[in-house]
Amino acid sequence: MKHTQITDDLQERASLYAAGAMSESERLEYARHLDEDECVVCRSEVNDLQSAVSLIAFNLPPQSPSPNVKARLIEQARRTAPVPPPFPQARPGFGWLQWVTAGIAVASIAVAFAVIRSNNELRRMTDELNGRIAQLEVQLTQERTSIAMLTSAGVRVVDLAGQGSQVQASGRIFWDEARKRWFVFFRDLPPVPADKSYQLWFVPKSGPPVSAAVFNTNSNGSLGIEIPVPDSVTDLKAAAVTTEPAGGLPAPSGAFALLGAM
Amino acid sequence: MLEEKQVEREDEELIRRMASRDGDALDVFYTRYNRVAFGLVFRILGNREDAEDVLTDVFWQVWQQSARYDSSRGKPVAWLLTIARTRAIDRLRSSGRKQMHTASLNEQKEPAASGSVGTDPFVAADTREVVQSALQSLGEQQRIPLEMAYFQGMSHTEIAAALGQPLGTVKDRIRTGMMHLKKRLKAYL
Repeated sequence: MKHTQITDDLQERASLYAAGAMSESERLEYARHLDEDECVVCRSEVNDLQSAVSLIAFNLPPQSPSPNVKARLIEQARRTAPVPPPFPQARPGFGWLQWVTAGIAVASIAVAFAVIRSNNELRRMTDELNGRIAQLEVQLTQERTSIAMLTSAGVRVVDLAGQGSQVQASGRIFWDEARKRWFVFFRDLPPVPADKSYQLWFVPKSGPPVSAAVFNTNSNGSLGIEIPVPDSVTDLKAAAVTTEPAGGLPAPSGAFALLGAM
Repeated sequence: MLEEKQVEREDEELIRRMASRDGDALDVFYTRYNRVAFGLVFRILGNREDAEDVLTDVFWQVWQQSARYDSSRGKPVAWLLTIARTRAIDRLRSSGRKQMHTASLNEQKEPAASGSVGTDPFVAADTREVVQSALQSLGEQQRIPLEMAYFQGMSHTEIAAALGQPLGTVKDRIRTGMMHLKKRLKAYL
């Protein structure tokens, strides 16, 4: 979905992306939004923010790598640079055999050039695949850790039921009481427009609700988030999700989307 | 010192030449930016050997992807440093290490004199001064989460957990900090 104008929520997402503060799933989704949706508004914001944050490097003490780093790099690049084919030299008495030989030489160099280019492409693909493998390995480790945590004995499960116009939606909270964290997953909760946000609330037995998270779901209506449960939040009776203006509010004002009793 | 716009034009020409597989262009581009890129990568990894490996990968990626560089997506140096930061964080995560030393956006407390040891001749003195001023004027509430994200690759959720702050607060502070940098460094974007 392309956006038509920048909002605080879109600035926040662009900031998190440019600063490298998104989770891996969020980063991949946002990158998809930039590349596949070709959103000019978000791309422009990201460009400015990435340029700004990259300037931080100029405030660090410059460091000199070993000279052999450059030497290896340049040598490797020169080996992959195209070699211009030689031109056959005209000589007195240059007969048909010499022309054939020169032609074969030119053809051989052209084939070598094609092989070098093919190797370069394979090397590029290998580099990209290796990078992707590294990313997936990190992601796999993180997800295995999450699964172990979610299925452990000390984790409470609280279901959230769709309310009002979102009756089809659902959510589930995995409450790790020992580590004071909620792992919350939403399903079939359609994303809200750019001027709105969903807001998750801790609802205590006494006192006003406390904001837990402000979010929007993916295009398929799903999302998984991890949030800390502050020490000040105790004796909960429920968790709720409401629809609020973009960025959320200090207190709930909008309609309930999800509700679950503790 | 070279003018900023002139440097940007020269950098774009170097990228175009690298796309044509001109090894001399890579040589010049490397000479121009290896120190600032290595400074960033070393800051993140804290290990010289790993940083040199990553630096090689960074400039190799620039060489390989030079044909795909799009100037509408930012200046060549911003492109280079974004690749450098991404590669360094990937290496940090894949090695399972946490950055041991404390990171600070505001490393250089005193403005460096032009031409003195520790300066880079391809970085204009006024650029360094403006960047330093922008970072010094950043409040601690914004600076700390930005450092944790940029130098340590921590997500907003991890930062909120580490600082014991609500997620919405951390996100807002990162946004505010980035907006501050964007505003203060507007002339250099």
